[in-house]
Amino acid sequence: MRNFKFKRSLTLVAGTALAASLLVAAPTVASATPVCDGKFPVQSCGGATSDGAPYAMMVPANFNGTVYLYSHGYRPNVPVPAGIPVLGGYSVTNTPQPGPNATVIGALLAKGYGVVGSGFARQGWNADSAIKTNVELVGLFKKQFTKTTKVVAWGESLGGFITQALAEKHPDLFSAAAPMCMASDVGPLMTMAGDALWGMKTFFDPTIKGGSYSAGAAGYAEAMGDLVKVFTAIGSLQAAFAANALTPAWPATSRVPDAIKAIPSRSALVMVALMSGVPLQSAHFDSTTAPSVLPVAQQTSFILAINPAFAALENLGNAAALGVLAMHDIEQQAGGAFFDNTATDYAARIADEQFSWASALSGASGTAGLLSVLAASPRAKADPAAVAKLKTLTSHSGKVEIPTILFTATADPTTAAGNQQSVADKYATYMAEKWTAARKAGSPKRPANNQLVLWNLPPEKYTKYSAAGAPDTSLPAATGTTHCNFTNSQFLAIADLLAYASANGKNLSGGPLLTKLRKAGNMTYDRGYIAPRLKYYGE
Amino acid sequence: MIRKTRVKGTWLAATVLAVGSLFATSLPAYAETGVTGSEIKLGITLPLTGAASPGYNKIGNAMNAYFKYVNDNGGVYGRKVTLIQKNDEYSPQLSISKTNELILKDKVFALVGPLGTANFTSVHKSVGIARRGVPSLFLNTGFSGFGNKKTYPTSFMVLPSYAMEAKIIAQFLKENHAGKKLGIVYQNDEFGIDGMGAFKAAGIKFDVSVSYTSGSQSAATAQTWVSQLAAGGAQVVVFFGVTSATAPLLAVAAGAKYAPQWILGSVGADPLTLRALGVPLAVLNGAQTPAGNPSPNDTSDEYVKQFQEINTKYNTGTAFDDYVLQGMNIGLMTVQALRAAGPNPTRKGLIRAMETKGSTFASVAYSPLGFSRTSNVGHTGYYMAVMDANGDRKPFGGKVTLYTTNSGTGPVTVSTFKRPAMPAKGLPSNS
Repeated sequence: MRNFKFKRSLTLVAGTALAASLLVAAPTVASATPVCDGKFPVQSCGGATSDGAPYAMMVPANFNGTVYLYSHGYRPNVPVPAGIPVLGGYSVTNTPQPGPNATVIGALLAKGYGVVGSGFARQGWNADSAIKTNVELVGLFKKQFTKTTKVVAWGESLGGFITQALAEKHPDLFSAAAPMCMASDVGPLMTMAGDALWGMKTFFDPTIKGGSYSAGAAGYAEAMGDLVKVFTAIGSLQAAFAANALTPAWPATSRVPDAIKAIPSRSALVMVALMSGVPLQSAHFDSTTAPSVLPVAQQTSFILAINPAFAALENLGNAAALGVLAMHDIEQQAGGAFFDNTATDYAARIADEQFSWASALSGASGTAGLLSVLAASPRAKADPAAVAKLKTLTSHSGKVEIPTILFTATADPTTAAGNQQSVADKYATYMAEKWTAARKAGSPKRPANNQLVLWNLPPEKYTKYSAAGAPDTSLPAATGTTHCNFTNSQFLAIADLLAYASANGKNLSGGPLLTKLRKAGNMTYDRGYIAPRLKYYGE
Repeated sequence: MIRKTRVKGTWLAATVLAVGSLFATSLPAYAETGVTGSEIKLGITLPLTGAASPGYNKIGNAMNAYFKYVNDNGGVYGRKVTLIQKNDEYSPQLSISKTNELILKDKVFALVGPLGTANFTSVHKSVGIARRGVPSLFLNTGFSGFGNKKTYPTSFMVLPSYAMEAKIIAQFLKENHAGKKLGIVYQNDEFGIDGMGAFKAAGIKFDVSVSYTSGSQSAATAQTWVSQLAAGGAQVVVFFGVTSATAPLLAVAAGAKYAPQWILGSVGADPLTLRALGVPLAVLNGAQTPAGNPSPNDTSDEYVKQFQEINTKYNTGTAFDDYVLQGMNIGLMTVQALRAAGPNPTRKGLIRAMETKGSTFASVAYSPLGFSRTSNVGHTGYYMAVMDANGDRKPFGGKVTLYTTNSGTGPVTVSTFKRPAMPAKGLPSNS
């Protein structure tokens, strides 16, 4: 097997993807009453809700009465010192964001819609406070713009969580909602991140603390130290992959037994991805393509064993960075450690997939070796009080009465597609319950399904190689991969679907729906598709 | 006048009834995915290119050839059968997207002969084969896990399981190679593990055990296998892997003058493919192998003879080997399944037909079929054969001694089962 030199370093997208959405400038004044600039044809207003959260409203002169309330995604609640790879230099910001980006906002305004969004009172996992903020914000908007007849909610990532919660809890305020690349409940979400982080720690650097961070400044320093260690481990693996993709060396920080190091480190990366639920398709690695310069016999090996490891390497940066930042944040809120894998059976976790990825895991013996490390390693134990507190945070019931539109990428490494699937599953259960109740009451009519579940699937093949056979990671991320990697066409299709649902009390369906999706591109409606269930189901 | 009216009324009523019954019989056919009044559309995923493709890439064309033959002879209840082949390059990830394509875009009625254990495991879970109720007939894999009817309610095996095969080889080793140093080379995944578990349960201990990871097979890796086997003094070597691994193993061993008694598992023992991969046929001389079907060269066999004729006419230029035989046979079984599902087939009806009538289907393989309402197990046995210098194989001991067993703890027994006759002209007329 030949060695590969990267055209350029693997892009470590990591946690910036969570925070890097465009922020829209708008007048922000710490006042409950909006302060508007009175400009024509679009008026921008700013102010702050009673919790101090700044908001932005933008309304065109030809306002048609429908406003889009946007909830932004996760922004770390602590600054990240310069020098830390990828995230370094991040400052906490509560700049309000009334839409996914300026282009989409402009398009909505041009159609006569209003847009509104908050920057929220605190960053980090803020769902409970953000829900209250948004409810107040809707009231302020309606008061300011009395022509308002419909409010639709949409949001991405954590904003998707907030949007779903708004739809469940406030059907009186909203006529339709679209959670996108959504997070589901914080417990399962952090189990995924915690497993990824614990896996990185176990295989590659046992000095990664991985949780149980101290209070105050000491805990902050520990978390930042973990970020450095995680990225250092990723960087070491990246260099090792570049030097020898078939049998990349283990990072110097790894303390796994020498016998285990006979298994290529790439297989450990794949194991971490599988045990946590991180997809094995990433921005640039499709798990289906090999360099054409390789002999045919080696191409199959590359597809089965090497490409998935590259995907794991590219994706795990995200999951582990979220693991550190969100773990620190939520532990501070919960008052202690909440990630607990003392009872986790990682062999069972990967049982369904180990055959599918047998080559990437270095066969049955490689799998057994890696599982033996996981079984023998000290586990993370939660503080019961912190777990109890976490359970008091808002979670999704799936019980929604207004039309909702769910949309996510099936290879999202941060909020895995299983997050969306869990909400779809809960809704299906709810609908079944309603149908049972209706039949008992003598009604022959099945309750209408008002949840439209859409998927963004990656292409079959998209990894590109140089003439020399090196993977090219300089290209834009493939559709269907990475976190909230949507096109403006897709955003606007969702917006159109929301407008229809809001106006008609039901989702668009049939041919018009399929035409809309086809025109937007890479949006799949398939009621038979079910995303891989999240790993932590039933635990 | 009155009489006239009555006649007219009767005639009218008869016309209405006739039209009504026409709709009654036609509508379900048009209502089922992949079935029209003139066509039944089927799909298969398999490696058509890449290291794992040799041999396997012939199966789809062989199936197609058989379907064309049937179509030229009236089709299945008047409908022609078409098969869409998708190249998954042996990649499970690609199998998923290709199967999605078959189901969602091509809208096939059923999958037939999907190939590869890891591939179908991935497809079944990710595509939701059972949830969607898509019949998946005659899987080209012997992983015994697929025999779990609860997990795979719409899927049906065709090959005897790897566990069955290992149990039968184990019996053969005890009866014919007792006291010799045993070696094994196996694929280090569910394929090999399935077999290794059965060997262990049968009390076979290998003195030298070599595993390889699927996709890693090459002349270079085969050097290490042969070194280990030779160093361990293995006198009898069982190979439990794919043909693309058999080839470098045998070629390297021949080059190193290492000549144990080879026992080649059924998956990796097709002589023509091995020869195409550079293995001199002389190296195969004397190799022993479990076989489910007669030799593809045995023209005294009515199935082989018929299939060879079809191959000559409808698969022109393709050498007739085990893979072609297997593809044709899957075609034959598929047509019987479609016929058993009735003139207006539905997916549910096809599955029911497999469960209730599948065990009676004509098939080239010598062993019984295990299909029932509680079992999706296909063929259940092998006979042992010996290869000669021409790349042909003959029954060990001069006559077919069929061993049957199950994937569990059941005994290996000599069977007197007599397979059903080939349908006249190779065209099923079952219902």
